[in-house]
Amino acid sequence: MATNRWLATGNYHISYQDEQKIFSTHLDRSIFIVFLSALFIWPLFFEVSNKFMLVIDNIMIAVVAIIGLNIVTGFAGLISIGHAAFVGVGAYTLASFSRVLGDSNMLLTHAWPLMIVLSGLMGAVFGAIVGLPAMRLKHLYLAIATLSFQMIFQWTINFMDFFDQGQTISIGRVHWLTGEVARKDHYVFWYYIILVFIVLCGFMVRNLLRTRYGRCLSAVRDNDRAADAMGMHPGFTKVYAFGLAGFFAGIAGALHAYLYRGVGIESFTLHESITYLAMAIVGGLGTLHGSFWGPAAIKVLDLQVEILAEKAAHFLPASMNLATALRPFTFGLVIVLFLMFEPRGIANWWRIVKSYTKLWPFRY
Amino acid sequence: MKKSKLNLMTVFIAAALMVFISCGTKEAEKVEVATTATEAKTYKLALSLAITGPTSDAGNPYAKGVEDYFKFVNEMNILGEDKIECTIRDDQYKNDVTKRNFEEFIAEGLDFYLNYSTGSTLALKKDFEEEKMPTIPASFHAGNLIESNYIFLPIASYSAQAIGLAEYVVNNHSGSTPKVAMFIHPSAFGRGPVSDVEKAIAAGLDMELIEVVEHGKDLDNTAMLQRLLNKGVQYVISQTVQSPVATMLKDASRLDLVAKTFGENGKITFLGCHYTGGNDLIALAGPAAENFFWTTSYIITSEPGVGTDAQLALAKRYGRDDKAAQSHNYANGVMVAQVATECILRAKARGKAVNKESLYQELLEMNGINAFYPVTTVGPVTYSATDKAGVDTLQLYAVKNGAFKSVGTPFIPIYTGKI
Repeated sequence: MATNRWLATGNYHISYQDEQKIFSTHLDRSIFIVFLSALFIWPLFFEVSNKFMLVIDNIMIAVVAIIGLNIVTGFAGLISIGHAAFVGVGAYTLASFSRVLGDSNMLLTHAWPLMIVLSGLMGAVFGAIVGLPAMRLKHLYLAIATLSFQMIFQWTINFMDFFDQGQTISIGRVHWLTGEVARKDHYVFWYYIILVFIVLCGFMVRNLLRTRYGRCLSAVRDNDRAADAMGMHPGFTKVYAFGLAGFFAGIAGALHAYLYRGVGIESFTLHESITYLAMAIVGGLGTLHGSFWGPAAIKVLDLQVEILAEKAAHFLPASMNLATALRPFTFGLVIVLFLMFEPRGIANWWRIVKSYTKLWPFRY
Repeated sequence: MKKSKLNLMTVFIAAALMVFISCGTKEAEKVEVATTATEAKTYKLALSLAITGPTSDAGNPYAKGVEDYFKFVNEMNILGEDKIECTIRDDQYKNDVTKRNFEEFIAEGLDFYLNYSTGSTLALKKDFEEEKMPTIPASFHAGNLIESNYIFLPIASYSAQAIGLAEYVVNNHSGSTPKVAMFIHPSAFGRGPVSDVEKAIAAGLDMELIEVVEHGKDLDNTAMLQRLLNKGVQYVISQTVQSPVATMLKDASRLDLVAKTFGENGKITFLGCHYTGGNDLIALAGPAAENFFWTTSYIITSEPGVGTDAQLALAKRYGRDDKAAQSHNYANGVMVAQVATECILRAKARGKAVNKESLYQELLEMNGINAFYPVTTVGPVTYSATDKAGVDTLQLYAVKNGAFKSVGTPFIPIYTGKI
């Protein structure tokens, strides 16, 4: 049967390889290339203030972190309440170098791509270590184990003099081919770097899911005994899921450290871990593009509620602290509403839109 | 089902568009305002602080103090035709939000910056240096000044305050070497003065530091207080915010451990730095606050005078409630606004263009005969290249019959110069 490689009004896969393709039609590929090109080109045409560039960079770093969280929680079904600590491991890897060598040491300022990867690897090591209990623990018990790591991490940073007891440890400005990245170019520069990392991480995960290791994740999530019976190693799969999640988290931590030019404990607390989990839920657990929707939705919502809370604080009585309660209230409400009405997250809306446009103009 | 989800999506997209459009309109309005105000000069100042979230009980009156004083300056034409435009943003006590706010202020052409927390001041220190931005934070952490040229503390540092209290203990204690514990906030803000007090002891301050307690969110301090008593602790110096101190005082009062007079034998005398005290502490601790000793550089409303009358009149003029009007953090906000205004006035008087460079110079020259005397503090504001703490003088207060009353005259700690 001759198939149209540009348009498909249904799923006409005739082989397993066909179903595993990253782009099912040429149109999908073209749209992706145009979209990606637009992401690279737009800062050259539109001047955005540092404030908004910082917001965008921040969302993008969260995307890298959520890609990691989605591997462990979404694809492998292992609840992690310590993801911010893994991000922190990456950031504090840089901070450790800064403390020992100085914040403007060439290793930090010139060899920064290497340092980012090194931070990722450090995150992977910690992820794998924390993942070891996953060989014996499940569900709530595993969640408590990851929570323990979060608490240990916070305690260690808060009380160790080496880490300045959680105070900000500065990181110097990085160098590029044209010399030191100036303050005015800082946020745009990191926009491109984070974007490159997102593309690399995205393709890495997309391809991982096409391999037997990726399919192991889903198999172990759905039924680890059945997976075991089919010759997979559930224990190893869980540990490497944590390791991979730690790797992406570590990279996100290093990017965060370079973007803010400093590392402080308040960005890696339990609250941040819960926020990451919320981003994954709102975006859509177990979907790659959910990792993009979640951070964007939560961060934009956070920004809007922040503006509202600030305005409310001017006329609400300070003693009642109602404005302070507005943010956690909204945050909690959004999570509850999504869990109740759209547990598959925003990714499911995307799926509906896609299936609708695929059939358009025919309804069925 | 599919239809309802499509509807839900439509609502979501419409909401997002509305937000986007509203942001765009706001920008357009700003441009319009900027183009119409061409004659009189407008000086851009900004403040980022915790109006909501942790420590907002202090941040809220502080913001009101700053806002009211600048309104007053503009309404009374203190700068002639020129106006001050001070943007106040909530940062919820989060460093990353403060950084975002700071970037926004810089983009708008900031001339002078007012910051708030210790954490964000330390985190943005390099930004202040790069931008050469004169900055006055509400944090009095001595560490803010290390490797910094552009940060100026409004009053004596927490370290100076803790050392001042320790000196008072040593000078007024009868008997052998006094045994002291420190009760501190588990952060840079709380920990800052500990090492400096230890240095003062090493430099000869005759006091024994028995224990440093980092408080959590405990609602009961019985065990801690009993432990301190068993160790022979006679004085507790606190460097934290009001609520944990109030909890501790209430527990100590319940256990009958609070000294009725300073240094009473077998009891504990409680003392605290700037953010531990004030009228809010009395409101929180009630009668348990009796005999609590507290130091700050501000004149407080329970000791009426010209400064406090002016403070209350300002608060009344802008319809502030009694709680804000009576707050020493309101006075704190007024004072930093006064310093910024004074710098602008002086730069104008010298015929200089008012910008961050000239305002920085004015701060550096604010000493000797050029010292600034705001009516709300117990001493003059003095800054120089080597002295970045504004009011060096401190006043000790103690709660008597439900109000803070002065104890002795203003003083400058001696050991701060020896460490």
